[in-house]
Amino acid sequence: MSTTTDPQWTPDAIDLIRDVPATGTYTITDEVQITDREHQLVLNMGPQHPSTHGVLRVILRLDGEVILDCDPVIGYLHRGVEKLGESHRYAQVVPWTDRTDYVAAPMNNLGCVMAFEKLAGLESPERAQYWRVIFSELSRIASHLVWLGTHALDIGALSMSLYCFRERELILDIFEAYCGARLTTNIMEIGGFSRPIPEFLPQQIRDFTKIFPQRQQEYAELLTANPIWIARTKDIGVISPQAAVDYCLTGACLRGSGVNYDIRKAMPYLVYDRLDFEVPLGTHGDVYDRYLVRMEEMRQAVRIIEQCLDAVENMDTPLMAYESAYVIPPHKGTMTTAEDMQRHFIWVIKGFSPPVGEAYVAVEHPKGENGYYVVSDGTSIPYRFRIRSPDFVNLGVLPYVAQGAMLADMVALIGTIDIVLGSVDR
Amino acid sequence: MSDETTIQEFRSAYSEPEDIWARDNYFHDDVERHPAVREARAAFGPAIVDVVRFRNETTIHVQPKYYRELCNYLRTHERLAFVALTDVTAVDMLKLRTTPRFDVVALLYSIDNRVRLRIKAGVDDGEPVPSLVPIWPGANWLERETFDMFGIVFEDHPNLKRILLADDWDEGFPLRKDYPLRGWKEYPSYNTERMVPRTRTRWTGRGV
Repeated sequence: MSTTTDPQWTPDAIDLIRDVPATGTYTITDEVQITDREHQLVLNMGPQHPSTHGVLRVILRLDGEVILDCDPVIGYLHRGVEKLGESHRYAQVVPWTDRTDYVAAPMNNLGCVMAFEKLAGLESPERAQYWRVIFSELSRIASHLVWLGTHALDIGALSMSLYCFRERELILDIFEAYCGARLTTNIMEIGGFSRPIPEFLPQQIRDFTKIFPQRQQEYAELLTANPIWIARTKDIGVISPQAAVDYCLTGACLRGSGVNYDIRKAMPYLVYDRLDFEVPLGTHGDVYDRYLVRMEEMRQAVRIIEQCLDAVENMDTPLMAYESAYVIPPHKGTMTTAEDMQRHFIWVIKGFSPPVGEAYVAVEHPKGENGYYVVSDGTSIPYRFRIRSPDFVNLGVLPYVAQGAMLADMVALIGTIDIVLGSVDR
Repeated sequence: MSDETTIQEFRSAYSEPEDIWARDNYFHDDVERHPAVREARAAFGPAIVDVVRFRNETTIHVQPKYYRELCNYLRTHERLAFVALTDVTAVDMLKLRTTPRFDVVALLYSIDNRVRLRIKAGVDDGEPVPSLVPIWPGANWLERETFDMFGIVFEDHPNLKRILLADDWDEGFPLRKDYPLRGWKEYPSYNTERMVPRTRTRWTGRGV
């Protein structure tokens, strides 16, 4: 059946496809919807699609290959982490946050632990703060490597995922060397670190930071000037600065549009105000810009790690705050002195009770602003435990960027937002 | 004319006037010096119910009727410029006070001033709150989640339906304080009542 003899094929539909600009500014009018109802197709994508990064389901309304409308359906991985957080004691809540964004677990711990510390009014020692920065920047690289590998895989560069996961292994080895776990690490603890840093760990991290920039240069050579990569990413999914702010975007999605908001610079936490690093900004707000921003963030993360390693090299101060009410006592004291053993007993059996109040702490997660809003009623269990996960909010922009895009670009648009469904659904 | 008055006159005439927009005012112990609080009180007066300061964070309690207007006022204000909405959520205050039952919490952020501000509106069960979607389209999913978890109805929301739970979820709203951790319905416990009939398998010789 040729298109010319098809009675449903009207000239309007041809105009519709031809008039779609590459920048995604095409808008749907009621007229088009009525006249072309016959041509529209509702297509279900996911929840078991390999390019949806987990269990994301997207319902697309198509006209030919043009996406008229899309409706993301989430919640397949909802485990009620907030409800669980409101039924466990403070220290027991921290491991739950590992399970939200599992590709950058230390970063989730960090926000949660800092919110509890702010509520209790205690501060971790300087050396612990440096190590927190080291682990969180390592997890930033680990998260961006997963993003880069899967994003490039979606678009068609198969070998990238193999290279990226090869380097991610080195970071997971570092986590394993410290705490024994690779995925759900639970590295950050209330007050600092209770386990000592192994002597060989700084050298292991230095080996990684020595290797990684060369390896990243290889990725950049594969992709940055690659004509296929540019054709698939340039001018796709453009978000203007105004739209990025209105859609509450954070992280690389916001900075790719040129809005300078990085929590590490805007409201420095830990020791970020003493470190020298740059915040990359995009100019055009398309998929390619967000790719460049994340690549540069990885280079800056290596710089930050090296500075922190230099700072902690000869530091011999404690890793854990000694605040008798809130912090688990040191292991050695627990085994030798009666006071610490009693404290340890109380801390484990009853937990601790911060004063009545509320606190919000946000950290610059690889995916954006990861905020924890905790309300205390004076008992040892959080009254309200809210996770503001960055990719849940960022994913809300998908219907906006997908409108008027081509179907083949859909996987690029999902990949560029950088979602982990464990964090979206919580 | 005594000496003291001349000194005061001299000071008032020649010293620089205090900068009411200084960044220190955002973090001053006296919460009334907070520029957003001052401007909101001047514009909304009795609609501002309460202002709370804890751990360097400022919270403005507002009547739910003026919740959206206040947010829009702070967003469009020239000097304050709380242009970014960070979070919308709610707290069920069932165990802490009698009425109103919920606090709807909006967290604003000013990119220019690098300051956060929390807006709270207390609502009872079933009482509607004006939606922030006309101002920030990004509030769409955040308010849907708040509706899903607490059952708070947002007026003017374009698509208020469940988002994380299933569309046909009929067990109420899980983050309310009267909602038990295991839900309202009786589900068979996997430890005591066996879902699978206890039969001997060929391979293990034990029950399934």
